[in-house]
Amino acid sequence: MAQRPATERLRRLLIILPWLMEQGEVPVEEAARRFSIGVDDLIRDLELVSMCGLPPYVDEMVDVFIDEGMIFVGVPRLFTRPLRLSEVEAFELLAAGRAAMQLPGADPDGALARGLRKIAVGLGEDDTGLLVVNPTPPVVQALTEAVENGHRVEVRYQSSTSAEPALRQIEPFVVFSSQGNWYVHAHDVGSGGLRTFRVDRIESLSVVGNAENEPPSSMPEPGRWFADADIERVTLRIGPRGKWVYERYPVDEVSVADAGGWVTVRLAVTSQQWLARLLLRLGDSVEVVEPSTMKSVRAEAAAQVLRRYADG
Amino acid sequence: MADRVERLTNLLALLLETRRPLTLHEIASELGGQYPDAGQARRAAFERDKASLREIGIDISSETFGGDRAGEMGYWIDRSEFELPNLDLTDDEVRALQLALAATRPDSAIGEEALWKLGGVGGGVGGPIRMHLPELPALPVLRSAVANRHPVSFTYAGATRHVDPWGLLLRDGFWYVIGFDHDRSDRRTFRVDRCESEISIDASVEFERPDETSLEGALPANPLLLGDEVEGAQTALIHIASRRAWLVEREVGADRVQDRRHDGSIIISIPFTNEDALRSWVLGFLDDAELLEPREVRERLVNWLESVR
Repeated sequence: MAQRPATERLRRLLIILPWLMEQGEVPVEEAARRFSIGVDDLIRDLELVSMCGLPPYVDEMVDVFIDEGMIFVGVPRLFTRPLRLSEVEAFELLAAGRAAMQLPGADPDGALARGLRKIAVGLGEDDTGLLVVNPTPPVVQALTEAVENGHRVEVRYQSSTSAEPALRQIEPFVVFSSQGNWYVHAHDVGSGGLRTFRVDRIESLSVVGNAENEPPSSMPEPGRWFADADIERVTLRIGPRGKWVYERYPVDEVSVADAGGWVTVRLAVTSQQWLARLLLRLGDSVEVVEPSTMKSVRAEAAAQVLRRYADG
Repeated sequence: MADRVERLTNLLALLLETRRPLTLHEIASELGGQYPDAGQARRAAFERDKASLREIGIDISSETFGGDRAGEMGYWIDRSEFELPNLDLTDDEVRALQLALAATRPDSAIGEEALWKLGGVGGGVGGPIRMHLPELPALPVLRSAVANRHPVSFTYAGATRHVDPWGLLLRDGFWYVIGFDHDRSDRRTFRVDRCESEISIDASVEFERPDETSLEGALPANPLLLGDEVEGAQTALIHIASRRAWLVEREVGADRVQDRRHDGSIIISIPFTNEDALRSWVLGFLDDAELLEPREVRERLVNWLESVR
């Protein structure tokens, strides 16, 4: 088996040891599970540090021994405190915390707010410059309440393919914001399947009863909830000015850029109208590679829009 | 050969316990044979260990001796430099942080390790409402520069920018840096994912942040005003078909509606500085939107469409 790198092992040990010292004694299994490390790896690394030491304290620096599946820790001398938070870890905690504080229902004086304040103070830095602004439309609050209360709701929804908003019944499971848009992942009563809806396309909402369907065992992955659905794919050549497309939308593949900065991208197309909009916005910075049936979409859409400008 | 973790642990222990700086010769003799005997190989092995400890977050301090050992280097580690200060977090505060991570950055290995350090655990399931945070390697560096008020430089739109970063702001799914751009001598906003180089920090300078009432207000709410392509905003007039009118009115606000037609369509008026963003927004509605003014922007939009017809 491949040996884990020495730095990785030591870093993990310096996290585990202070916790063990606080516990005094703990089953090996429990410690291994808590720190996502193999039991054998943990035992080997703990036995190794327990033998470390320098005169006159040989063998006494870290007083750890393992017997019958239990770890026992004696009087701590060294490594009693965890390492400082790295820059990356501090960002992760603060950004996650600030973002969660923007979600409806967050208590400005609650445990999260207090914890974030303590971390900012502990870092000894002026941390007022990190902000998350995420406006939540009122419908988000109503959908969240429907999830919490297990309600079925009726929404007036403007789908990207139909001309007018239409009524449909859904049972919401989770409401989430991704790349600037709000979505609700729900059981769609009409089609009998799981669907993800854009919250900004919900015109109105009312509770109609109790939900009858169990939430799915797994929720959509961040940013790629429709990646594995059987949605049609299109392959595009995109120029350097169209970079935002593969930054913004979930894509299956992006090739390495050629000398001119053009890349080949494969992505899911939710509807032909969606593709038409995308192609018009890209103008001459895009070419459809396949399927060949989509090659005329851009020209047809341009002609359709130009007709409107000809009248004006 | 002995396990490298053993040598690193012993080195760490020795430099933590010592009451005076130790020379490399002293370190090698205390560690009894764990470092090579030959001078150059020993130095190389020690430098590698120093780098490994730094990677973990532990810096070895050093000073140059004077007197009869003039020129020799002495090494030690200051415990307070790398140990986590006591943050006095309660169990429910740590759990709240865990839930926040589960709702915004599920499966983040970095977040899990941070929680371990605070005495908590990772994992867990987010509640009924979540927000997915985009991840960018430049963000931790920028946060640290903002917090310590150090200027940064990076390549943006093909040019090197020197910026005093006042704030880091997530809005509409994108991270922005707001600050003073020394090359333009003005306040500017930059999309972090558009930075074309690594961010370099000048830690020797500490800038003054102006007393802004709010950083939030520094970022225009209208995405058509983001970016610095044009000086000064112009106003666009756009005709929106009735079936999209409610969507648009909700997005831009009722006060932007200049005229309501009998057929249910509306004319809206919005300021913009970024013509690309404006064209893109209008074309997003296909033939449900028509840009009326400014005339020259309308003409360029028509040319844009003609070129791909």
